[in-house]
Amino acid sequence: MKALDNVDFDLREGEVHILVGENGAGKSTLAKVLLGAYKAEEGEIRFDGEVVKFNGTKDAIEKGIVAVYQEFTLIPYITVAENIFLTREFKTKLGFVDHRRMEKEAGDLLKSLNCEYINPNSFVRELSVAEQQMVEIAKALSFNPRVIVFDEPTATLSEREVNSLFEQIHRLKKENIGIIYVSHRMQEFPLIGDRITILRDGVKINTVGINDCTNEELVNMMVGRDVSQVYVRTENDHSEIALQTENLCDYKGRVKNVSITVRKGEIVGLAGLVGAGRTETAELIYGINQAKSGKIMLHGKEIHPKTPVQATKYGIGLVSEDRKKQGLALSESIAMNTVAVSLTKLFPHFFMSYKKVNEVAQTYKESLRIATTSVKKPCRDLSGGNQQKVVLAKWLSFDPDVLIFDEPTRGIDVGAKMEIYALMDRLASEGKAILMISSELPEVIGMSDRIYIMHEGRIAGEVERKEFDSEAIGAQMMLGEVAK
Amino acid sequence: MNAKKIYEDFKSSNVFYSLMGLIGLIILASIIAPNFRSLNNFITILRQASVLLVLSSGLTVVLLTGGMDLSVGATAGFVGCICAQCLKSGMPVLVCMLIGLLVGAVVGCVNGLLAGILPSFIATYGTNWVMSGLAVLVMQGAIIYDLPEGFTNISVGYHGMIPNLVIIATIVVILFWVLLSKTTYGRRIYAYGSNPTAAVYAGIPARKFMVSAFVLCSVCAGFAGMLMCARLNAADAAMGDSYGLQTVAAVVVGGTSMLGGEGGILGTVIGAMILTIIINVMNLIGVSSYAQGFVIGIVIIAMVLFDTFNKKKQARKVA
Amino acid sequence: MKETTFMTKMKKIPPVAYMLIILVVVFSILSPNYLTFSNLRNILIQVTPLMIVAFGQTCIVLTQGTDLSLGAQVSFATVFAVWLATKGLPIQAGILLAMVATTVIGMVNGIVVACGNVPPFIATYGMQNIVNSISLMLTAGASIYFASDFYRVIAEVNIIGLPIMIWIAVLTFILVWLVLNKTKFGICIHGIGGNREALELAGINVKLVHIRTYAFAGLVAGIAGAVALCRVESGQPTVGSGWEFQAVAATLLGGSSLREGKGNVTGTIFGVLLIQVIKNGLNVVGVASIMQNAIIGSIVLAAIIIDALVRALADK
Repeated sequence: MKALDNVDFDLREGEVHILVGENGAGKSTLAKVLLGAYKAEEGEIRFDGEVVKFNGTKDAIEKGIVAVYQEFTLIPYITVAENIFLTREFKTKLGFVDHRRMEKEAGDLLKSLNCEYINPNSFVRELSVAEQQMVEIAKALSFNPRVIVFDEPTATLSEREVNSLFEQIHRLKKENIGIIYVSHRMQEFPLIGDRITILRDGVKINTVGINDCTNEELVNMMVGRDVSQVYVRTENDHSEIALQTENLCDYKGRVKNVSITVRKGEIVGLAGLVGAGRTETAELIYGINQAKSGKIMLHGKEIHPKTPVQATKYGIGLVSEDRKKQGLALSESIAMNTVAVSLTKLFPHFFMSYKKVNEVAQTYKESLRIATTSVKKPCRDLSGGNQQKVVLAKWLSFDPDVLIFDEPTRGIDVGAKMEIYALMDRLASEGKAILMISSELPEVIGMSDRIYIMHEGRIAGEVERKEFDSEAIGAQMMLGEVAK
Repeated sequence: MNAKKIYEDFKSSNVFYSLMGLIGLIILASIIAPNFRSLNNFITILRQASVLLVLSSGLTVVLLTGGMDLSVGATAGFVGCICAQCLKSGMPVLVCMLIGLLVGAVVGCVNGLLAGILPSFIATYGTNWVMSGLAVLVMQGAIIYDLPEGFTNISVGYHGMIPNLVIIATIVVILFWVLLSKTTYGRRIYAYGSNPTAAVYAGIPARKFMVSAFVLCSVCAGFAGMLMCARLNAADAAMGDSYGLQTVAAVVVGGTSMLGGEGGILGTVIGAMILTIIINVMNLIGVSSYAQGFVIGIVIIAMVLFDTFNKKKQARKVA
Repeated sequence: MKETTFMTKMKKIPPVAYMLIILVVVFSILSPNYLTFSNLRNILIQVTPLMIVAFGQTCIVLTQGTDLSLGAQVSFATVFAVWLATKGLPIQAGILLAMVATTVIGMVNGIVVACGNVPPFIATYGMQNIVNSISLMLTAGASIYFASDFYRVIAEVNIIGLPIMIWIAVLTFILVWLVLNKTKFGICIHGIGGNREALELAGINVKLVHIRTYAFAGLVAGIAGAVALCRVESGQPTVGSGWEFQAVAATLLGGSSLREGKGNVTGTIFGVLLIQVIKNGLNVVGVASIMQNAIIGSIVLAAIIIDALVRALADK
């Protein structure tokens, strides 16, 4: 599968061009091609009307095309100033790095971003995530760029910081700098955007002016079909409480007094921004980290999961956020990954049989339609969507009562997404209690019976399915309170 | 159709290259050292390989978890010395050996717990120094000779044509093979080594697995140390030193990945044979024993380089 | 304002400095001769070669690596210099060539680690045995000798009350400190351990930086070898054995970390001093030399572990 297929894209001076699409639609790939980090197999890039060829990011930087990446490109144990001027250090007459001058220039840059509070002489590691983001932006500006690519810049920022970022973007626009803004937060678009280009599965769907299209049209273009067909939920009864937390807090202050309830047969959404404490809450329930205070109750009984080993014994499962790091042993076979959790359940007597493992894996391969010729193949050979299905198979074969899905459809194509949604619906109908964490608002709204909105570690609100309103939920995610 | 597929599978496995290496080496050896081909030498090689096999079987488990134990040589020496001292004090052979295995288990426990705090190669590099220091302490700087016959027979005796040592090594290898490939424990060792974080998220008790792998490894090392003692009919604080390097080399040459989760006992057997033959041939053609480290060092580096390049090639094939 | 900067400066002092002070106090209570100028000077003289090796090791640790061949490189440098001298070269030229040789060895380490993407400890473990083996072959297993007055010049001629070799260590410290803190190369060393992708995105040849780091550590090990040679006045194939571990331990104790490119060479001084004070203290207190290896190993290991645990607790 191509990550990008025949995409035309143009950027004018002094314009903010927003790039939207679901995860895996090719936004970041397009941005990286423009930045010289990836090479295009076909097609050309024109800059000021001239065809340019980029061999690596250095060439793009020379032309004045720079990026503020989603994953930070800062080095933790060198100073802010050293990071900003990395590879372009000022030198003294003796050939040593001129720290005094670098600190002064870095300080000036940060001041122009209203960030005087960041000391250019401190280690980046000592800064908060939002401060690091501002250093990234300062670093980009230090190149005197013509074009800046912002890759999901607001994911980690608080509202105040988002506002100051938008001010900066407006200022840059006035200086005739072209800005490519990669995001999927629709609330932000009217505040800063001029035009929007929608990508889906590596193909450009359309480019529209910011005022020429409604949010709904935008979502439909992103998802590719009517949203109501993507998210299918069957009605079922849910009265019995399966999982409940009371005033749950963690040691790092990322989870504050979280009380949630998940009933049997129910899908409960946990909406919020990245860093709102959703994954951290899940990790408390699953025993990755331990709660500082508060209660976790399963079927009415208080439990203290200290490790995932105990959590699985209680019948709790976690489909984790990062399937490559936390979900799969990539060099192991599909079959072995399928039985990773249920191994001792399948073979309680120490010795095991490969025949049985393969049979089990084969049934899940068929029922989940995992696209592979053999379950003996290593997982790293599979595509993202199929890898995610193996993760699901791992938990299905274990058959827990409570399943937590953390970003279950990140980075997989729409077809696989719909299959996963259908599976979640089926599991709920079978009486499993499901807690779903997702940053994609349409997904949370489409799949949940009830939504909790988290903001800065707290539960900011709770909404029943019949009262779902994407704008209100979105505002609450951003601000922590109901918009008036 | 299936024969081709089996061949393809085999070719892409780590064992394939090790086996090719072994065959190549045997051919080369029989050319450059004419007395290599004698039956006597063959049995000598098997006997020499036995201690190494026991050591490297244990180390394979640790490497599969993604860890490293650089203390096996010193542990073997230390346990051997303790066992010898016990024997000299007149305790029954069986009791002495049990004490030895127990000491090995304790060492492994310490290594395993330390590996939870520090990178395992640093922790075990440290215990390596401690262990060789303790061995000197146990021996009070002397060498012990003349151990009871009931003990030395374990290593020097024969069953028909076959030396006891070889039988023992074969049993150990088979036990480890069964453990690693036929039990749930073994599979979870692989799963843990392949991706420790995912293993923790899948509810595998990580700490326990780390410690158990190190315990298995050190128990093997201890056992091997006692076999050394029995074979030499003596105990010397430094007797395990040269084995540390050879053991690491044997496992790495056998195709077990430094990054954990890939490889196995079969490769280790081949690796141990390769190492033993290299040393045997160097002895036969009269290369100075000082040069052994040079050759083995180069073999280790060449092998890990080959392994990473091979992985890159495979990754490219998939992409 | 001033007080807070004072406090942050205090916090930057690694815990090892306090351990060091406590130990010195303990030993000076146990033995009245301990806190004399001559004993302190003695400690400094004994520690010099190890100190220099540890400066090199610090650079490697900052790249998230460890060089287990540094001790072997020191031994090799002493052997190679003497061997060249016995073949007719002036000893000074032999020492210089030995330093070139260790730089090349370091470079080979760097190439294997950077280009082969091999875990550094296994590559350098292999190299350790290769280098040791070469030393043994050059000397047939024993020490080799070459008479020269040059050794005494380095080891015994005093400048401001301290022998030249200590000043060599001071100069090496300044060199490593300048490289790590005041050059682009140093910033990149921190970057390899901290965020390799960032360096690549900035268009830096990361492999080259990596290779240069190992070569630099090799050069520093060569300097340590020269100093060691002047102290022991012979080429000894085992003189530096175990130093690589003590150097790693000293670096970790000094507040450097095998993650994220964190650390500095100043802390390493305290780490090395701690280790030497323990060794020296055992002598002064009169622990039998037969027990010392085991005790030093255990104490060093315990020190790193306590340190790691303290840091883990502090992070929580």
